Amino acid sequence: MAAPKDPANPAGHTILVLILLFVAASPLAQPGADDYKICAACHTIGGGRLIGPDLAGIGERRSHEWLVSFIASSQTLIQAGDADAVAVFEEYNGMIMPDAMLSRAEIESVLAYIAGSGDAGAAQATAATPQAPPEPAEASEASEASEASEASEASEASEAMVELGSDLFEGTVRFEEGGPTCNACHDVKNDAVMGGGILARELTTVFSRMGHAGVKVMIGQAPFPVMQAAYEDQPLTETEINALVAFLQRADAEHAYQQPRDYGIGLLSSGVVGSAIVFGLCGMAWRGRKKESVNQSIYDRQTKSQ
Amino acid sequence: MTYLDTLLFVALPYVAIVVFLVGTIGRYTTAGFSITSLSAQFLEGRSGFWGTVPFHIGILILFLGHLFIFLFPDLALLWNSNPVRLIIHEGIAFTFGLVVLVAIVGLLIRRWTHPRLRMVTSPMDIAIELMLLFQVVLGCWVALGYRWGSSWFAADLSPYLWSILSLSPETDAIAAMPWVIKLHVVGAFIIVLIFPFTRLVHFLVAPLHYLWRPYQVVMWYWDRKKIRRADTAWQSTRPHNN
Repeated sequence: MAAPKDPANPAGHTILVLILLFVAASPLAQPGADDYKICAACHTIGGGRLIGPDLAGIGERRSHEWLVSFIASSQTLIQAGDADAVAVFEEYNGMIMPDAMLSRAEIESVLAYIAGSGDAGAAQATAATPQAPPEPAEASEASEASEASEASEASEASEAMVELGSDLFEGTVRFEEGGPTCNACHDVKNDAVMGGGILARELTTVFSRMGHAGVKVMIGQAPFPVMQAAYEDQPLTETEINALVAFLQRADAEHAYQQPRDYGIGLLSSGVVGSAIVFGLCGMAWRGRKKESVNQSIYDRQTKSQ
Repeated sequence: MTYLDTLLFVALPYVAIVVFLVGTIGRYTTAGFSITSLSAQFLEGRSGFWGTVPFHIGILILFLGHLFIFLFPDLALLWNSNPVRLIIHEGIAFTFGLVVLVAIVGLLIRRWTHPRLRMVTSPMDIAIELMLLFQVVLGCWVALGYRWGSSWFAADLSPYLWSILSLSPETDAIAAMPWVIKLHVVGAFIIVLIFPFTRLVHFLVAPLHYLWRPYQVVMWYWDRKKIRRADTAWQSTRPHNN
């Protein structure tokens, strides 16, 4: 018991130092790191553009106040006509950044975390790539090449994966962990699947908007609270995510040739017909019901006899 | 999450549950015979029938449907995992939503225009009826405009309601829902809140045993000839039939 407290015990010191080092080195120990996990679905710090911009050095490019208000509610800022906010929104194909469900203090700690790990991230990136950073043209070529390889991977995965993806989307094959099917909230205009929901965004052309990496991140670590709650205890597997991405890619490519049905009109008309049937059944089931007062027949007999 | 969300989705449900329990037990112990609904002349078989009967059938199915998904979200998701079953489920639920909507509008009109009913109508009767109408309109709106509710209710709102009951409210998902859905949820809490002060308490004492008890013969015990007023229908002619 007394061993760790004993100043002469080098083993106790070493353990303590190791623990302290581990805690200090762990990014989770930093305030804001936990909340940043949601941001990481769409952003990197020093790793380049993903669905949203690279956040390395964001504190130098934008004012602190602007960042806090944009993170709290980007749409509020965009609708108010803030020129910078509108420019970012347009640059990233009108992708809506969901409002952070964070207090001002939490947003500030996330910004502090980004500022802190931005330096670390940049240092790591430099260390990992000793050669000179690629020229912009080369970089774009490189990214095109990687996109092309991803695309070819997706097309190779193809038929079986696309089919699995459409079955998973529609629900005919259930997710391994039992999560709700995608079509509970999302619609995709594709003849292979029926009856998509409209609570959330329509996903027919999501692949064009976000690309392979973006769609994959969105399915695996969605930054939307409603989707997070739905899959919190029942996450998708890697294969399921890949299959869905493959299906969404196919749906995007084929969307011009589909003949989507409007399930809203179908639901409305089935409700109208169904309720008419229910009223009719009530009338039939209770056709022998008493429609007058108990005395009515006696009263009628009496007036007739006069 | 805003303060309004905290108020509506954390404070309101707890206040509603406490008022429901204290109010209902209080009413039962202090005025037990008032745990009923004052006559709505529901044996009247012409206009009343088309409101009362479909309304009660519809609202029971909707209530039990919501309760079932709240209690067994996984079973609901399992059923809905087949798109044909999902569409049948939603079609039936929406049908009963419309049945209740039509019936409750009929009942409101009847309550307003029927002099016999106006005599026995209290302000709370109107309040609860308008509240139910509000809920049904929003429910149909949600079913049509934000489908498929039976699935996302199981995936998102059932966990929220369980988090309320387990005293660790998780409101991120409900706070991010469209306002129509939020209003529907708030409406439900308000109905629970005002429940003990309305005629809705009759729901707790529904005479379910009537469904399988033997029928009763009811007969008049007094001499009808003696009490008949001779100066009304048969002044000149003596009736022959009794």
